[in-house]
Amino acid sequence: MTDIELLNRIKNNPADFSELFKLYYKQIFGYILRRTGDFDDTADIAANTFFKAFTHIKNFSYKGISVKVWLYRIATNEVNLYFRYKHKHSSLFERIDLADKNIFNQYLYEDRKELEKELQQHEQFVSVLESLKTLPVKYQEVISLRYFEGKETKEIIEILNIREGTLKSLLSRGLEKLREKCNQI
Amino acid sequence: MKSFEEKLTNMSKPEISQLKHQDMLAKAITNAKDKSVVSLWWLGIPLYLIAAFVMKSIYIPQTSWNSSIRELTGKQGYMAILVFVVVPVLLIIINLLTIRRLFFLYGNTKVTVFIKTVLVQILIIVLSFLILIFYFL
Repeated sequence: MTDIELLNRIKNNPADFSELFKLYYKQIFGYILRRTGDFDDTADIAANTFFKAFTHIKNFSYKGISVKVWLYRIATNEVNLYFRYKHKHSSLFERIDLADKNIFNQYLYEDRKELEKELQQHEQFVSVLESLKTLPVKYQEVISLRYFEGKETKEIIEILNIREGTLKSLLSRGLEKLREKCNQI
Repeated sequence: MKSFEEKLTNMSKPEISQLKHQDMLAKAITNAKDKSVVSLWWLGIPLYLIAAFVMKSIYIPQTSWNSSIRELTGKQGYMAILVFVVVPVLLIIINLLTIRRLFFLYGNTKVTVFIKTVLVQILIIVLSFLILIFYFL
């Protein structure tokens, strides 16, 4: 199924949004986890990302960027908001009606345990991420998309809506700053 | 710098294999949307009233917005109160509550983005206030 077909299906029947979840939730969740390094914050941000995607999907018109890029764009904005207003961060889980809160919390608990174990197995990554998080957000997003997500220049430009020259200069300066931070450890 | 880039590219990164909470969350988000949306059709009520009275004041000689309302009030007092007071007040309350709920549902978001999201609700509130003002003038 193409992006356009999926979008049309969702626009006609909002319940089909679960298809989009199946396709991209894990990927976006992984991206956010590799930006924040924290399961609870990741779960909140990922939920907010998909909630916003769902509420705005009727306004999304297929103009050159794919649904995946669009989701990455929303997720990036959400992560940036999180870094800017962390103290004000509130959980979507407390505000939406879950069919069975106990089962959901149990699933969330199991997912947390699994991913915390996964994070522990990647000590080097966690240490680099901690250094990266001390840099301004504009460097964090380009470095994360290029080196953690393995995105090509074209895709990063689309996600961040910036020019190629800007991306190159942000990457170059960001890498230099990150290397200094890593060397200090 | 090249070696640092290689180190970043090649180091192992945490991967997601399975997320158990995924399906329940998808369902909850879909339900949250269903309950939070006030249909554009609600706008039809105040718009219909305004359009009807404006048309009447334009096409029927010696009538105005106020005289049309007074005429209706005289003929069908209860209907006038229902249409020009109860319905607008109810619409204002429902939409204020919806905006409040959406505000809590959205959490941190830019003011402009939030205003765009609740534009329909704001329009209904403004139109309802206009009807109330015209009625009590």
